[in-house]
Amino acid sequence: MPGKDFLALILQVGFHRAALRRYTGFKSSPYTEGALFYGEKLMAGQTRETIDSQAEPAPAPLEETACAPGGT
Amino acid sequence: MTDPEIRQVREGIQGKYDRVAAAGPVGSFIYPTGKAGMELQGYPPEVLRDFPPEVLADFCGVGHPFSLGPLNPGDAVLDLGCGAGVDSLVAGRLVGPGGRVAGLDVTPAMIRRARANQARLGLANVTFQVGKAEALPFPDHDFDVVVSNGVFNLTLDKKKALREAHRVLKPGGRLMLADMVLVAALPPDQAGKVENWFQ
Repeated sequence: MPGKDFLALILQVGFHRAALRRYTGFKSSPYTEGALFYGEKLMAGQTRETIDSQAEPAPAPLEETACAPGGT
Repeated sequence: MTDPEIRQVREGIQGKYDRVAAAGPVGSFIYPTGKAGMELQGYPPEVLRDFPPEVLADFCGVGHPFSLGPLNPGDAVLDLGCGAGVDSLVAGRLVGPGGRVAGLDVTPAMIRRARANQARLGLANVTFQVGKAEALPFPDHDFDVVVSNGVFNLTLDKKKALREAHRVLKPGGRLMLADMVLVAALPPDQAGKVENWFQ
């Protein structure tokens, strides 16, 4: 799952409800795609909540290319 | 990564964004920037209608982080790696005069450009300052929302920067990031190249 390492970091530093919400279909190169990440800081006394999107693959990246090949 | 490579990455990123600050994003990115980039990312039509063209022209984000959730009137927002400040100014509009937005960027020239854009819009609830995502110049529990747009892929110590974002958020605060992820392996002749960081 592209972006899973970064999502793991978001979880490691303490965010809950952390998720790679979606891929955007935006490609800045043939090798990269836009992604939207989310997390929340726990409230005092709140228990960390695991949500499905932490464990399940996010939707597959879209196929269309939005820009010319190259680096980011 | 070796120390000289880290230095080369930092200098390369700084050099690229010094050029962007001097001449705008056109020609420095291989993806749509400016108003076209904002339209592509799905920014609201009222932002595209109400913001001056000179401000819109400075957008070089890779997504629409505000699509992850609402900014509420009165919220305190940190825009990490704010560049020329377009997202900070969008946030400033959304949180209203009772809210506040801090834009932070490592490149002094981009902060000067952000302040010029702020002057064009006359938003008093937005401030800009130079600083690093890995060492945020803000107290603990200071913000309701941290947003960022295409910055973490340029951040050398991502975990440290995320820790800092977590530290400055209030309990219950939200992290809303747009960025790029690798979806295919780089060809062998490009993998590991320092220049990938700032091309």
